[in-house]
Amino acid sequence: MGSLIAYSFLAALIVGGALGVVTSRNVAHAALFLLTTLAAVAGIFILSLAEFLALVQVLIYGGAITIVLLFALMLTRLEEFSNVRDNTQWPMAIIASVALLVVLVGAIFASRPSGAALRGASFQEVGTQLFTKWAVPFEVASLVLLVALVGAFLLARGGGNPGDDGIRDGGNRS
Amino acid sequence: MLGMEQAWLQPAICAVAFVVIALPGRVLPRSGAWLGPLAILSAFVIFWFVLSDLLKNGPATFSFTWLEAGDVRIMWGMILDNLSVSMLGLVSFVALGVQVYSWAYMSGEPRFGWYFAVHSLFAASMMVLVLADNLLFMYIAWELVGLCSYLLIGFYYERRSAAEAAKKAFVTTRIGDVGMLIGILLLYKTVGTFDISGIIHAAQHVGEPGNPLSSVMLTVSMLLIFAGAVGKSAQFPLHVWLPDAMEGPTPVSALIHAATMVVAGVYLVARMFPAFEMAPTAMTVVAVIGLITALLMSFLAVVMTDIKRVLAYSTVSHLGFMMLALGSFGVGAAIFHLFTHAFAKAMLFLSAGSVSHGVHGKLDMREMGGLRSKMPVTFACMAIGALSLAGLFPLSGFFSKDAVLGTVLAGRGPVFFILTLVAAFFSAFYMARLVLVVFTGQPRSHEAEHAHESPVLMLIPLVALALLTIGATVLAFPIAGHANFGQFIYPAGEAEHFQLWLAGLSTVTAGAGLLMGWLIYGTHAISPSFFRDRFPAVQRVLEHKYYIDDFYQWVIDHIVLGVGGFVALFDRIVINDVGINGPGRSVVQTGNKLRLHVTGQLPNYAMVMVLGAIVIGVIWWLFAVRA
Amino acid sequence: MTLLHTELLSAVLFVIGLYGVLARRNAVLVLMSVELMLNAVNINLIGYAAFTDPGRVLGQVLAIFVITVAAAEVGLALAIILRLYRNRGTVNLNEINLMKW
Repeated sequence: MGSLIAYSFLAALIVGGALGVVTSRNVAHAALFLLTTLAAVAGIFILSLAEFLALVQVLIYGGAITIVLLFALMLTRLEEFSNVRDNTQWPMAIIASVALLVVLVGAIFASRPSGAALRGASFQEVGTQLFTKWAVPFEVASLVLLVALVGAFLLARGGGNPGDDGIRDGGNRS
Repeated sequence: MLGMEQAWLQPAICAVAFVVIALPGRVLPRSGAWLGPLAILSAFVIFWFVLSDLLKNGPATFSFTWLEAGDVRIMWGMILDNLSVSMLGLVSFVALGVQVYSWAYMSGEPRFGWYFAVHSLFAASMMVLVLADNLLFMYIAWELVGLCSYLLIGFYYERRSAAEAAKKAFVTTRIGDVGMLIGILLLYKTVGTFDISGIIHAAQHVGEPGNPLSSVMLTVSMLLIFAGAVGKSAQFPLHVWLPDAMEGPTPVSALIHAATMVVAGVYLVARMFPAFEMAPTAMTVVAVIGLITALLMSFLAVVMTDIKRVLAYSTVSHLGFMMLALGSFGVGAAIFHLFTHAFAKAMLFLSAGSVSHGVHGKLDMREMGGLRSKMPVTFACMAIGALSLAGLFPLSGFFSKDAVLGTVLAGRGPVFFILTLVAAFFSAFYMARLVLVVFTGQPRSHEAEHAHESPVLMLIPLVALALLTIGATVLAFPIAGHANFGQFIYPAGEAEHFQLWLAGLSTVTAGAGLLMGWLIYGTHAISPSFFRDRFPAVQRVLEHKYYIDDFYQWVIDHIVLGVGGFVALFDRIVINDVGINGPGRSVVQTGNKLRLHVTGQLPNYAMVMVLGAIVIGVIWWLFAVRA
Repeated sequence: MTLLHTELLSAVLFVIGLYGVLARRNAVLVLMSVELMLNAVNINLIGYAAFTDPGRVLGQVLAIFVITVAAAEVGLALAIILRLYRNRGTVNLNEINLMKW
């Protein structure tokens, strides 16, 4: 019962934060709403007895990703940040989203999810699995990260000024 | 030794002359035009070898396979019998005379070489037409002579009237030619051959069991082939092109539109005569058309004032005589008349050319007069030709007309006979008028006062033809083992016997016509306006040539152009705009609309992806979950 | 708290993220919305790992991979956004229509 209360609180936080992200007129506020949501998701992980994931969530999302996003915001149009506008297709977006929600909820109820009692996995269990059974995908994932890192570096590093079409002096000028 | 087997050399030489003059000729002296007379001269020489071979060894045919496709086998060959060899001689002789004459007449004209090139092509095609032993081959030559006629009528194409006349001649004869082509193909479809002998054989056994050719089919195809003859030989109602064809140079009129090409129709019917004979209805049509032509056109020749047009209508009228003789089962008489008429009319046209040469290109008889003393040779020749055509003893025209009259009386009865006599009377009358108006009386124009005789080169063919016009009389007497020329041409026919009462009647008729001409135009005992004043309506109808041209013009303006306009509109709107451009335009328009969905904006694409996902979800819901 | 709750929460979060992707104009905000959607997926994975998986670990491992890929994606996407901003002077998605007809 206590967990349900905690869960409801976190869920409210998640949904509210998410709505804040997608509706906020101020980009900085949106980033803060995102941080709230991500932290609440970490709380959900803890409730689900996945402590390791909760830690990862806080470290990577709450730390790295949010910071990078804020960096990006600062490096681009600051003057518009306080008053961003939405697409002209936003009413259609609402309709599509609600429709998808209906489909998903319908699917959830149609599949009648039934779970056994809540059981967690210790750090040790996750670590063992990750470095034995999932070792190869794990290594591939790290390779993906490396490639993404190098790619991001090359892309962001190249020169050029606003108005350049960037085709002649693409990021691989180094 | 040259013989019948080498007869193909005659057209071949002329064809080569055409190619040489037309293509590299302009680098030769005088544009290489001298090749034309040279070629036709050698063809004329070959003719004598062919003729002697024919008289010695009798008729023969030579043919080889031209093309073979499956069961279809088309031959390319020549038929050499009395008819075709005689025609060969006529063509090569008149062509030779006219080319010699043209050498002087056309000197100084532009396109001198081209003139002789087309002349050579014409001679070649005409000889092929005469020699051809199958209808397809003949049809090719038939169209080729039509082409030459077109080119020569329109020789002065800078003149609008000449270009129009050429077009008119081409289109009008084409109407008949289409019928002829249909007839030929119809015969091919039923009989299975283009060979004239094969078709005649089938026709002679028409209606017998096992013969694919039915009587009705024979009549229909013969009438269609006759349509070609009507067009080419300028028979009523397709005669309208021939008078206009006088826009061409006068020697051309002499050769093509008097002596040779226009008689191709007569030759065709004569060649196919055994087949025509088996189709009585077709024969009646031939006779009636011939009679109408002979009669109506002889009236028109009376009112014309242009010297060449008088001769043109006279030509049409006499072609009608020939057709009438054919329709009265008289091949010999028809071809006999063809020959005498060819000589006389070629000479008359050449004389007319000489006259207009003498009076500096004038053609209107009202501006001539009194030329007898100034152009004595021309006058003599023209008088001989006119009297021969009028049918006065002892000129050749008398005998051929006599043969025609006898044939008509025997074959078609008194009504046709009397009407033919009427036409013969007018024939004499307009000939008298022509000669008297041009050569007697006082000069009526400045040019006529200062007329001069033509150069010798022009007079030689004139005199030669004049001598032939007189000399052709021998054709009425036994020749080469036959009773006369007519039987020589068509041995299967009965020889007409010389009948004294008939000869007397025709002489009286001709004499009456000549006398009337003399009274009106010679002594002015009767005023020329005598008839005009009394029958103004008749005069008006004649001067408008029976309104036939106006009628055709009306048909073309209102019906042909109307239908054509509708068809063109249909083509432009339904076929072109809707049928051809429509799909293209609709594709372009659809594309223009469709390309708008490519907005280039990522949110739009994302939206479409989501909608697709929703649709997939719904489908899954409907088919996987609910089921 | 049951599996049903986690799934419903995941669905709602996913749809909200979707709305953000579709409706926002700023590329950085779209990226944030994508992160929301990824988190919705993670919640779902963890929920299943905790409630149904006998080995209990599979969902967590997959979630780690998702997070890894998300990190890579964010890094690359931000580099692209920077590049875009330098070349075209904007990060508004509807001003970027090079692929237009």
